[in-house]
Amino acid sequence: MRKSTFCKWVTALVLIFLYLPIVLLVVSSFNAARFGSDWNGFSLKWYEKLLQDTQMWEALSNSLVIGVSATLASTLLGTLAAFSLHRYKTGLQKVHYSLIYTPLVMPDILMGISLLLFFVAINIPLSLFTVFIAHTTFCVSYVTMVMLSKLQNFDFSVVEAAQDLGANSWTVTKRILLPLLAPGIVAGALLAFTLSIDDFVITYFVAGQGASTLPIYIYSMIKFGSTPVVNALSTLILGVTFIIVIITQALTKEET
Amino acid sequence: MAESVVFEQVSKEFGQHKALKNVSLSIHKGEFFSLLGPSGCGKTTLLRLLAGFDTPDSGKILLDGQDITHLPPNRRPVNTVFQSYALFPHLTIYENIAFGLRIANRPEEQIQEEVERMLQLIQMTEYTKRTPDQISGGQKQRVAIARALINKPQVLLLDEPLAALDLKLRQKMLLDLDRIHDEVGITFIFVTHDQTEAMAVSDRIAILHKGEVEQIGPPVEIYEAPKSTFVADFIGDTTFLNGHVAEPIQKDYSKVQMERFPGVMCFNDKALQIGDPVHLSIRPEKIHISGDPPPTHPLINVFQGEVEDVIYKGDHTHFGVKVHGQKISVTQQHSRYLLDEKPIRWNDKVWIWWHADDGFILERNSKGDE
Amino acid sequence: MTLPSFGWLLLFFLIPSLIIFAYALKPEDSFGGVGEGWTFDTILSIFDTNYFMLIWRTLWLSCLTTLFCLVLALPVGYQLAISKPKWRRLLLILLVIPFWTSFLIRIFAWKTLLHPEGLFKKLLVAFHLASPEATLLYNSAAVLLVMVYTYLPFAVFPIYAAASKFNFQLIEAALDLGASRIEAFFKVFVPGIKKGILTAMVMVFIPAIGAYVIPDLVGGSNSEMIGNKIAQRTFNDRNLPQASALSAFLGLVVLIPMALVALWTKRSKVIEAEARNKE
Repeated sequence: MRKSTFCKWVTALVLIFLYLPIVLLVVSSFNAARFGSDWNGFSLKWYEKLLQDTQMWEALSNSLVIGVSATLASTLLGTLAAFSLHRYKTGLQKVHYSLIYTPLVMPDILMGISLLLFFVAINIPLSLFTVFIAHTTFCVSYVTMVMLSKLQNFDFSVVEAAQDLGANSWTVTKRILLPLLAPGIVAGALLAFTLSIDDFVITYFVAGQGASTLPIYIYSMIKFGSTPVVNALSTLILGVTFIIVIITQALTKEET
Repeated sequence: MAESVVFEQVSKEFGQHKALKNVSLSIHKGEFFSLLGPSGCGKTTLLRLLAGFDTPDSGKILLDGQDITHLPPNRRPVNTVFQSYALFPHLTIYENIAFGLRIANRPEEQIQEEVERMLQLIQMTEYTKRTPDQISGGQKQRVAIARALINKPQVLLLDEPLAALDLKLRQKMLLDLDRIHDEVGITFIFVTHDQTEAMAVSDRIAILHKGEVEQIGPPVEIYEAPKSTFVADFIGDTTFLNGHVAEPIQKDYSKVQMERFPGVMCFNDKALQIGDPVHLSIRPEKIHISGDPPPTHPLINVFQGEVEDVIYKGDHTHFGVKVHGQKISVTQQHSRYLLDEKPIRWNDKVWIWWHADDGFILERNSKGDE
Repeated sequence: MTLPSFGWLLLFFLIPSLIIFAYALKPEDSFGGVGEGWTFDTILSIFDTNYFMLIWRTLWLSCLTTLFCLVLALPVGYQLAISKPKWRRLLLILLVIPFWTSFLIRIFAWKTLLHPEGLFKKLLVAFHLASPEATLLYNSAAVLLVMVYTYLPFAVFPIYAAASKFNFQLIEAALDLGASRIEAFFKVFVPGIKKGILTAMVMVFIPAIGAYVIPDLVGGSNSEMIGNKIAQRTFNDRNLPQASALSAFLGLVVLIPMALVALWTKRSKVIEAEARNKE
């Protein structure tokens, strides 16, 4: 009685809507012609062009460096934040929570411009370092929220059991908390990494001239560069994303 | 008597599982009718078919003579009280009860009048502005009943409505249901797995087992004259003894030869031949127990045995007596101060006896018998 | 333990946010950057008629985006919630993959699709639904389309999350009491997932009003949004105070409704607690 043919059809249409542009993109990347409407034969030439572009490699390596470093920093800060928010319920923590929560509901562009003005005001030159700071800042909130929900579902009686059996704080942390919370920490870190790699708006505002990340590279290619090359890059990124999603799904399936 | 609901050869399968196999039964107008059986017997499926949430694979369902088999639930003059009550959490008690009338676009004054009438019926007039999460389980159940009854359905379906309540509350709610049924007068169909509930309030009971109807009848008949081994075992307590028909003695009585037992006299209302395998079923409360031997009589079966179990339950004691290698259950009501009777203890040698009328034989066949 | 994150956010989030408000009160410097002294002129210039169109368009496009996303997300969320586990997993994976794909790439995909010499245009012309000179790109319609496309998953997930906790027997109860399927959907299902719907609205509206890349890549000069203007003032005109003023305005538009919602939920929780105490 709950089945609805209407909802089924809408879902199917929505899925088609979601995938149509993507599929077209992938197909076009193998099209020898410049514009997708004429098919000129299968070709890998755009991929070649892409892989020969040194700017792309530079942007990619920058993105990875920032991604890893911002992930480490934000995971550390976020995990600590989640612990203190979960443990203490003081007025200070309420302010703390607002500080964590507000960035999540602000549009990217506000964070971008506020950090830009900040760096300008205290005279820090824009570079990869400022990008690192920006990425860490917005990632902290996400990591904290992920960890907070894991902590809320965590059964702390195992800690009490360990203490009852003679473990001190350090042992408890090392042998109980970290292993049990590891999946949550990994989930938070993965989220931070993905957000960092994909971020454009905030990075654009605080990157300055020399620092190029992959999204910035993509943006300039879209605006000023060769379209088919972007197709090729997009397809590659899609492929990588697809593989990662499948792997994570396979891993989480084993968990349940 | 007018038939309110008729199921004609109704079958329903869920994948491999045959939930109902050619079930036919009719329910009289104004009856309090129970569908009783263990989990998985098909009683809830039958109810849902009547409510319209599923359609049968074959067969017909008639309501007051009309074929409603394929009618959607919102067009049937039938209302359901769900096991989990399914009260709308975003509406007040008043609005929950008024829901059906609002859907039917009744005028506001009529709605108000009817809702107040219902609130009085369920004795919850001060609770109009509350929401479902602010009332207790028993109150939720009453609201669910009111919400269903306000639409003046021809039949009210109750799907294990008391299952989520604790014992004392269940007993009280059962009496409430009985009272409401008397006041309102429509057909009630009650699904439960609890036999005491069913027997307490029903006019008739249908016992279902593995998708088939085993027996239909008033509670007394079900209890005292079960037609199959399953029914005898499911309802109340009983002891089964296996054996076969030895000789018919008088009209209506046969002597049954039990394994390792001397012959037992029983009431035989079934067409059985000598040699037919049977179960002898005797309910524990029908057997007498004493340290002293009883007077003899051709229709009284007397045996001697040893007490193995004694379970004291306050108003009665449950004994397990070993007789000729078989354990027989006996309950003894304590109508006098216990120590004035001679209390029977473990390992006592006792006499047990019962009248041939009190034990009945059931056909023993391989199908579904234990 | 609190200190690291607290300190970091204080420094890199709170202070920069305050700077925005501070700069909004400063005049512009002819060489680009921020001038000396304080003035209200910058803020007043926002209430100029030019900006009025901009702000109106931004709000209007964001509201439409939210509406379309909701309308599409409700059936999808419902379908997800009632699907058998195997199908549900599949559908969720299918919905998640575009979501994890780079957001720039997805916008670019539409840019290509809607290109004057692109496939879509050719199809429409072939079916006589559009003239050969029409442009599908660089207008508000394109911006709206791509925004709905981009933010739809943000609406689907909260609605699905709420729908999965919904007790579907309530729908049976509604049908039992005489409601049609449509009535049951709107009178029982939708109110039942109120929280999810609210979350979905917030998750779409807020990024939508701050949208910058989408109007930048697929919008034209007559479909600018606040985000574009902020970027333009910052990078092209180097008029930081005006950019700040606009940003401050955007910030308030986001924060004030959120604060109101937070206060309202707090009040209703207090009322609920009082009602329970009275029992």
